[in-house]
Amino acid sequence: MATYGLLFDYEYCTNCGSCQVTCQEEHDYPVGKTGIKVLVDGPWKINDDHWNFNNWPLVTDLCDMCAERTAKGREPMCVHHCLANIISYGPVEELAQKLAEKPKQFLVVPEFDPIASKGVFVSQNKSSHKAAHIDVQGTGKANYAVHRHDTKVGEIDETEE
Amino acid sequence: MSEDDFYKTAAVVKLDTLSDVNDIGKPWRYEEDGLTVTRTSPWSPPGCHPVGCGLKLYVDDAGKLVRVEGDENNPVTQGRLCPRCIALKDYIYNPARLLHPMKRDPKERGNADAWEQISWEEAFDIIKEEYDRITGQYGRESIVVFAGTGREGGTFAPYSTMCFGTPNFCYSQSGYACYTPRLAAIAYIGGTTYPEWDYAGALPGRWDDPRYDLTEVLVVWGKAPLESNPDGFFGHAVVDAMRRGTRLIVIDPRVTWLAARADIHLQLRSGTDTALGMAMCDVIIKEDLYDHDFVEYWCYGFEQLAERVATMPAEKAAEICDVPVEKIYEAARMYAAAKPAAIQWGLAADQKTNGMQHGQITVDLMAITGNLDVPGGQILPGTGAGHNEAGFGFEKGLGEELQKKMIGLDQYPAYCMLILNAHADLMLQALETGEPYPIKMGFYAGNNLMSCTSMEPKRWHDAIVKSLEFCIGFDTFMNPSIEASCDIFLPLKTIAEREGTVFTHYAPCTVTAGFMNKAIEVGDCLTDYELCYELGRRLRPELWENEFKFRSSKEFMEALRLGKRENGEYFDKVSKCVVSQIPVDYYKYERGEMRVDGSPGFATPTGRIELWSTAFEQFGDDPLPYYEEPEFGPVDPELMKEYPFILTTGARTTAFFHSEHRQIPRLRELCPNPITEINPEAAKKLGIADGQWVRLTSPFGECVQKARVSEIVDEKTIHAQHAWWFPEEDGNEPNLYGNFRSNINNLLPNFHFGKLGFGAPNKCLVCKVEPIAENYDTDMDLIWDKFGKLV
Repeated sequence: MATYGLLFDYEYCTNCGSCQVTCQEEHDYPVGKTGIKVLVDGPWKINDDHWNFNNWPLVTDLCDMCAERTAKGREPMCVHHCLANIISYGPVEELAQKLAEKPKQFLVVPEFDPIASKGVFVSQNKSSHKAAHIDVQGTGKANYAVHRHDTKVGEIDETEE
Repeated sequence: MSEDDFYKTAAVVKLDTLSDVNDIGKPWRYEEDGLTVTRTSPWSPPGCHPVGCGLKLYVDDAGKLVRVEGDENNPVTQGRLCPRCIALKDYIYNPARLLHPMKRDPKERGNADAWEQISWEEAFDIIKEEYDRITGQYGRESIVVFAGTGREGGTFAPYSTMCFGTPNFCYSQSGYACYTPRLAAIAYIGGTTYPEWDYAGALPGRWDDPRYDLTEVLVVWGKAPLESNPDGFFGHAVVDAMRRGTRLIVIDPRVTWLAARADIHLQLRSGTDTALGMAMCDVIIKEDLYDHDFVEYWCYGFEQLAERVATMPAEKAAEICDVPVEKIYEAARMYAAAKPAAIQWGLAADQKTNGMQHGQITVDLMAITGNLDVPGGQILPGTGAGHNEAGFGFEKGLGEELQKKMIGLDQYPAYCMLILNAHADLMLQALETGEPYPIKMGFYAGNNLMSCTSMEPKRWHDAIVKSLEFCIGFDTFMNPSIEASCDIFLPLKTIAEREGTVFTHYAPCTVTAGFMNKAIEVGDCLTDYELCYELGRRLRPELWENEFKFRSSKEFMEALRLGKRENGEYFDKVSKCVVSQIPVDYYKYERGEMRVDGSPGFATPTGRIELWSTAFEQFGDDPLPYYEEPEFGPVDPELMKEYPFILTTGARTTAFFHSEHRQIPRLRELCPNPITEINPEAAKKLGIADGQWVRLTSPFGECVQKARVSEIVDEKTIHAQHAWWFPEEDGNEPNLYGNFRSNINNLLPNFHFGKLGFGAPNKCLVCKVEPIAENYDTDMDLIWDKFGKLV
């Protein structure tokens, strides 16, 4: 099955907040939680005539690309409501072609709840070595100086008891 | 075309990002997955300008709204939606929403705990008793209907004329410094109602319609269309055009997102726009870049204009505006060379004392470059456009004698006659002094003036509380103005609960007409036309029964909005369109479609665009544009020593509509605190850190806000947000939900309007800034706890 992703034309992201609020409404997230938010860089001056001022929609670990909706063939809610119409949803290969057509875009494949998506821990039990069956002999004394590898090791005789 | 076919379902224009599985072509109501979906085009409330963005409202079997989605069938919004409608459920089912009428003893004004729930009948009885008593003693003119902004109630003049019968419908912002000065400028110069940029909104097929020419250069002047959807214009149409190749000139003291993408950004000193416009006009004339044919045949007074603007060469304007002179030349040349080009003029034109002249020079620029009524330029509405509700029922409702008693009519006829409104500042004076007559009863029609639309809000507060013996608030939530001054609260329906219409630009320039279809019922609420009808029939039964004779509230709305009287049947028919495009046409002035007499030309005394304005002269103002320095600013060096910054206020965010939405947690999260923008160099000198709270002080008052240290403003300029109050706080006087703590209007004066009565220096005052130790940061946990659990 094709991998799906989101293509953002960040040149035209106006930081309207529609993606964040619609994500919260769709998933019933409270304030403080969201699958997408916008980061702002600027305005700061490049030179006397030009400014850097870009908004960056950022998908979080709560973005499931609206799995319930996309299963029915509809687009995610942030794509639907984006006021500047800058988000595209589709197979990564199709989006990559659009990415090549214009600068100031980026393509992401979010992962919903990445820890959970790794699944429950089950040991693969790959170590094959078994402990050898050998009877060993004792040294007869405790070696207190086992960590003393410095130059002073000779000055203290810790075996003398 | 026959009149009955006027409203047609608009043709859909699909966005490329919309999936193949979609709702294009669905009827106005349909079923989906066990839910009933109602398509609607909202106006208000929640407050908004009349854009009428397409909405799909999903309702379950229990009649509860469970889902809101943008409707891809709307040709302008195309399924897109801003956060405020996306969060509509959080507004409708908010635990703080008020759903029943309430009364409170006038002695208990300001006591948030003294309200008592009552029935509508009891509310009507109390209002009737007080109405009869007060009008018997002081006359109907003693009633003031406070209009707000944006919402349907804000322009619902029939409240005053037909329901209460008072001439004093009053938008309380000093100098009506919002939209109306621009309407006045185009009315008095061009005889038409509003020259919106042609964004192909009314053309089937939109941008690809064969009649449309893409705007080559759009001048965004003192406007933030993306955030404000000004007057019903869908702001992100600017982005749509940019993506198709439209280039920008931005004139703004702030480095807005649009300014950062403009070919030319003129970062002028706030309030100096008129000088800049005159200089651009001078360059265009001197360098012979104007449209000779249009000027020769369709303009009046070109020689006088040329002479006048020659007094403001680019070099002089560069000094005044504090912008590089070469950028003025570049901007003038780029605008004049572009065919077509358009200007979007913003609120900044209204919010200065000489705002009329800014409006005047803007229309002059549109005219001499030949961009009026051309595809991709400025669309001009033909005859019949305008605020129909302002005049609807005016004469019958008031009678001849009372019409003349409108406060301010004698002194400022250009203001009062244009919008049929009492003059704001003179209303304040009347409340304070009882002159020319006492004002004793009030009604808030979609208005929270103490938080948003009044300058010196404490002064308005004191005047209202002292002067009004009886006051009624009609709203969705409690707000500081109602808490401070009302004796009756009436609950208002939201867009999901109501029927009605929405015309972009309030009808002075209708691009789309939308219809509101009702999806749910909540509580015990009415909408504006229902209240006006129900209350009007009780207060003035003879007039409503014998003169107005509406069979139902719906017929009243139908007559007011659609010019029909079919007991709602006509509305029911056309409302199934959900949204219609109003046919647009170009070069109408050549065919006699701009005048009621059917002759070519414009509806002005000379029949031409009056660069030399007969109307201005008749009203006693200079017929030509002129520049006046802002009264508070560098013109007064002594003042600048104490208040060294130029203060501009009121840029919007998408999170809120003016003073609304502070109690919607997911919206508040987008903008939790009142923000003051200050340049890093200025902040460094004052020891202000990013995020620190600061005190702003002007000659008129002070407030505290949270500093955002950013190059979005230059070193001389401060920008502060407006309309802040804190619904999570104690509502009792004197705190009043923290209404006066961060209220930037504390710093803004009344009585500094222009010669015709219009304008206020809300975007060009002065202030000082000091860091403070206190921290008033919003606790979002408290907001969620208080307003996040829907009911």
